[in-house]
Amino acid sequence: MTERAHTAVTRRRFLKTGALAAVAVPLVGRASRADAATKVLDFSTGADVAKAEAEGEVVYYGHDSEPGIAVLLDAFKKDFPKIKTSYVRLQTGALYAKVTAERSAGRFGVDVLQLSDISPAIDFQKKGGWEQYQSPEYAAYKPEYLSTPAGYFGVPGVGFAGIAYNRTKLKPEQAPKTWKDINNPAYRDGVSVKLATSGMQHSQWYILRKMYGNDFWQEFAKQRPKGFDARAQLFDRLAKGDDRMCALAEYAGYTLYQEKGAEIDFVAPPEGMPAIAIYIGVVNKAPHPEAAKLFVDWALSKRGQAIYQNQKILLYGSVRNDAGPMPTGKRLADFKLLFPTDWNDYVASHPLFVKEWNSIMGL
Amino acid sequence: MSPTPSEGIARARSWWPGPRLVSVLVGGGAAILVLYPIAYLIQASLSVGDPQARPPEAYGFDNFTGLGRYAHILGNTLQVAAVATVLAVVVGFVMGWILSRTNVPGRAALEQLMAMPYYVTPLMGALAWAIIASPGSGFVNQLWRGMGGEGHVIDINTSWGIAWVMALFEGSVAFVMIGAVMKSMDPSMEEASQVLGAGRTRTMLRITLPLVLPGVLGAAVYVFAEMLGSFSAALVLGLPARFYVVTTAMYQMVSQYPPRFPTAAAMGVSLFAVMFGMVWIYRRIISAGTYVTITGKAFRPRVMDVGSLRWPFLAICLAYLTVAVILPVLTIVYASFQHLTAASPGLRNLTLANYATALSLDAVRSALWNSLLLGLATASIGVLLIGFLSWLIYRSRLPGAGVIEYLLMFPQAVPRLVFAFGMMWAWLVFPLPIYGTLWLLLIAYVTVFLPLGLRTISGVILQIDRALEESAQMCGATWGYRLRTVTMPLLKPGLVAAWLLLFIASVRELGASILLMGPKSKVITPAIVESWFSTSTELAAAMALLQTLAVAVALVIMFAVARRAVQGGGE
Amino acid sequence: MDQASIEVRDLVVRYGAVPAVRGVSFTVGAGEHLTLLGPSGCGKTTTLRAIAGLERPASGEIRIGGSPVFSSSPRVNIPAERRGLSMVFQSYAIWPHMSVFDNVAYGLRVRKRPEAEVTSRVREALDLVQLGDFAARSASKLSGGQQQRVALARAFVFSPSVLLFDEPLSNLDAKLRAEMRVELKELQRRLAITSVYVTHDLEEALAISDRVIVMRDGVIEQVGTPGDIYDRPRNTFVADFVGSANLIRGRRRPDLESAGLVVLETPGGALVHGTAPGRPTGSEALMAVRTVRLRLDRARPAASVNAWTGRVRQRVFQGDFTQYHVDWEGRTLIVRSAAAEALAEGDEVYVSVDPRYCVVLED
Repeated sequence: MTERAHTAVTRRRFLKTGALAAVAVPLVGRASRADAATKVLDFSTGADVAKAEAEGEVVYYGHDSEPGIAVLLDAFKKDFPKIKTSYVRLQTGALYAKVTAERSAGRFGVDVLQLSDISPAIDFQKKGGWEQYQSPEYAAYKPEYLSTPAGYFGVPGVGFAGIAYNRTKLKPEQAPKTWKDINNPAYRDGVSVKLATSGMQHSQWYILRKMYGNDFWQEFAKQRPKGFDARAQLFDRLAKGDDRMCALAEYAGYTLYQEKGAEIDFVAPPEGMPAIAIYIGVVNKAPHPEAAKLFVDWALSKRGQAIYQNQKILLYGSVRNDAGPMPTGKRLADFKLLFPTDWNDYVASHPLFVKEWNSIMGL
Repeated sequence: MSPTPSEGIARARSWWPGPRLVSVLVGGGAAILVLYPIAYLIQASLSVGDPQARPPEAYGFDNFTGLGRYAHILGNTLQVAAVATVLAVVVGFVMGWILSRTNVPGRAALEQLMAMPYYVTPLMGALAWAIIASPGSGFVNQLWRGMGGEGHVIDINTSWGIAWVMALFEGSVAFVMIGAVMKSMDPSMEEASQVLGAGRTRTMLRITLPLVLPGVLGAAVYVFAEMLGSFSAALVLGLPARFYVVTTAMYQMVSQYPPRFPTAAAMGVSLFAVMFGMVWIYRRIISAGTYVTITGKAFRPRVMDVGSLRWPFLAICLAYLTVAVILPVLTIVYASFQHLTAASPGLRNLTLANYATALSLDAVRSALWNSLLLGLATASIGVLLIGFLSWLIYRSRLPGAGVIEYLLMFPQAVPRLVFAFGMMWAWLVFPLPIYGTLWLLLIAYVTVFLPLGLRTISGVILQIDRALEESAQMCGATWGYRLRTVTMPLLKPGLVAAWLLLFIASVRELGASILLMGPKSKVITPAIVESWFSTSTELAAAMALLQTLAVAVALVIMFAVARRAVQGGGE
Repeated sequence: MDQASIEVRDLVVRYGAVPAVRGVSFTVGAGEHLTLLGPSGCGKTTTLRAIAGLERPASGEIRIGGSPVFSSSPRVNIPAERRGLSMVFQSYAIWPHMSVFDNVAYGLRVRKRPEAEVTSRVREALDLVQLGDFAARSASKLSGGQQQRVALARAFVFSPSVLLFDEPLSNLDAKLRAEMRVELKELQRRLAITSVYVTHDLEEALAISDRVIVMRDGVIEQVGTPGDIYDRPRNTFVADFVGSANLIRGRRRPDLESAGLVVLETPGGALVHGTAPGRPTGSEALMAVRTVRLRLDRARPAASVNAWTGRVRQRVFQGDFTQYHVDWEGRTLIVRSAAAEALAEGDEVYVSVDPRYCVVLED
């Protein structure tokens, strides 16, 4: 709404206030250990590689699409052929629900967990779910991209979303230009977003709410939007013309589908684009602890980050200090990204988000 | 001649345990398998307080009273189920009548083909029809717009669309049941009417219809109960339209963070109650009548010569098969070879990439393998159990046989997703480490498909003359010897049919698997849904075809093996 | 060959609340052939199955060879497969998935006889029933008569102590039945096994039994040799069931009795001389006269008693005999005559009968 509110949520602010440092989290009572680092391939790891290979397996729970996870795990397998990989893919909300249900019943079968929303990440930290592990690769990251205190999880990438539309369904003059435009009744019954399980969606909800007031999304509800689980679905439908406009169009998805030849255009609204970081960490009581540590180190290393950033199906922006440009040639700094400023408030807003979003979706 | 007969008998006495002990063990096992998850489901539904606490902090009925918020979902469920039932019963009746009462050409072949929609599987049917008829990109609508039309002419993402797909692919059981009713009617009743001077129409209305109606009603009730628990069609077609039914709503609720287990459980229990009521009504209807539908003699119904109407009737049958089998399969094939599905793709759009991806994804390969393995295991273990259980229930005359039958048929009244929810909840805390493994899926499949197999076998076993077993008894054979040498061999054709049914059912199962899979126990149908939601339609189509191919190959192998076994054990 | 006697005492069998057998007692001597005869529903099959062990009686006792196989007090119930009996079923119950040889060999194999013995005994049994060439044939490809023989062979091949027959001939056509009857009798003579036979066919019962028990509604009406049952029926039911009879009611005339004969005076005044074998007779009595025992002559017969006049009212040609309905003493007498000479309707005739064949009934 006002200019002040507008600037309150810029990326600069994010960096300045040290987003994650603002989250007050009580220590779980374990001293952080600096693990002895060894060099393997071209990165450092605190894991005992021999033991990791003896464990022979790593179980990965993540939120990316199946081919995306497949690409990631295949790359890891190529580097470490002795370690088998297996995974569970669910959208972040569902993923976290599964992990907590399993753990509450005494089942500990997860080695590495990747989430796309900070709320479950913090919650997991509070519950002592993350293993306290100082990855040597953390050295390549600014402290705001690590957990507080460091040693629980890291940020292997950042994603952000603007608006996309099917240019055969909407003429350029009809196309949305700012975030306010998504509430234009012209798009009624033709808009898609993600479901309440998505971290990206939480971020957009929170940021635009702060920007335009609490009634913003109630207005949006009148558009009767359709909600989906994954960006592939959103872009699939957009490309085929089942939807006219996608209000949470992730840049990575747009890039992928544009290559496929879909007739879609991307809009980066002048207010900026809501962004999320994705979080990865070693899970406490993992069945294959050394392999887990090795994986996390690998993921945060230059090698791993190359996969996260350059594989079209993942296309996250890397926040490593020495990261190169994304395959499109752009860097994160080229975009106006919006992050929540008050992380406590953001985390606390999650239940309200789920409730409101569900009712917008008709559930 | 020595030795004396009684000595001979004494020596032949088997070391097998008495049937009473075995039936107690079996009954106990069945009770655990079936009731344990239900107990947990009910416990979850009564949990008030922190929804994530285990065991529940407090008990109460708040979850049930709070269901008023979801009245629209319950309404959706009933509406979709009702429409689907009507469609399925009408189609089943028309097809059944045409194929058993008229001289439409190719009757025998057509009757066999009527089973095909079952093999297409509801998921594939839903995917195909989504491709054909979704309002934006559906082929039909594309053609419509190409011809100059506006908007769309059919929309599959509505309650009607969902009901249509459900009726086509899950309603074939209506045809089977109604066909059986038609066949079990004594044609001399109609002949008597006609001899007394009544015309064809009058006979049909006054004699045939009233005789057939109770059986048809029974079939309708049964189909309705099944439709209540349907999941695949509503998942694929309903979600994009914000249209929820109880099963998909439950699925969504437990897939969020924070998950709403108690609410989902309360919904599940409500659905279960309605289904239970329906199945109870169904059993009342069929046991009350002398119009035996499954057992009893099969008559040769009188075939009417309908003259030139044969051809329109044939057209109707072929139209049904087209809509239910040919069109969906062709659509899926068509879509699987494209980058972005379009009705008239340019050559640039054609690709093998989807198959390459599908086959390269380790998840797909292992999921296919797991599904086939599970199918094999479920069918084989299931068939052994069913052979023994059907003997126990229908032939052994042991006390408690009725209770066991009731227990085993119980899962019929529970929608499979709801049952899986209970299993997930229940087996999570079970001391044995089977959670997240294929064993859990195996247990789930065997438990939910046992009623299906029992229903198939019960018809066969009740037709076996009791005297065949009694004469074995009089020759001195113990219950185990009889079972092995007389009952089982005679059941063989029924067991083969049941094996097939169980195999297909377990490979195509979605609702039960989607909640119980683990990282190393993925199965194919949820994987197809997964790729539909998170990757692309085209990949999903390719995977669906791979699944169909894999199943077809497996079946061909099984048939060859089975035929050899049957021939070997015969004369 | 072990022959056993059978003792049945106070047998009561119920189906639910309906009593099928209501207190039946009889004995079968070792080597004897007993038939249970009666209309359907009389309880004969139930009794047989109770002896076999296929039905569980409510009370009573059954002994075979002196030892109890069933008793309600003390509680004894030996299962059917351990009673050492054998049974031929009405539907033959030949197993279609086995060969003729395997069918017959079943009982021997259950008793774990050595294969050589099995082969020789099965061949012997098949020869005895004239199916020697059929051993290898599949049992599903046999005619009714052949199946029946296989059932027979299967039943006696393992030398049971008792053979039970449950209406084994009732599914055959009349001609075959008549032939099989003779063969059965021959077989019985050769094997000399104690047999209990159930049938509703009178001719069968009379042909093959040593003794016959007539049953009705779950109770025994009469026990006796075939001749006893036929010539000296005890009551109306037996008289009417075992062959056709005329029932003549009359007042007793003790004053006219002589030479052990009883005299009844019909209401019309005719005097009928008959026998009352050990039966008490009151002032009124009912006499049964078999239709085949009455003679019709044109000329007055030589007999001094039991000769009357009558008129032929109706004549029914039946092939082996002709049935005449004769007006006599204000009522109709039915006479079956095999005489070659046919009487015409309306003819005046003399009706006569030997007093031995006029039997006073008990009720």
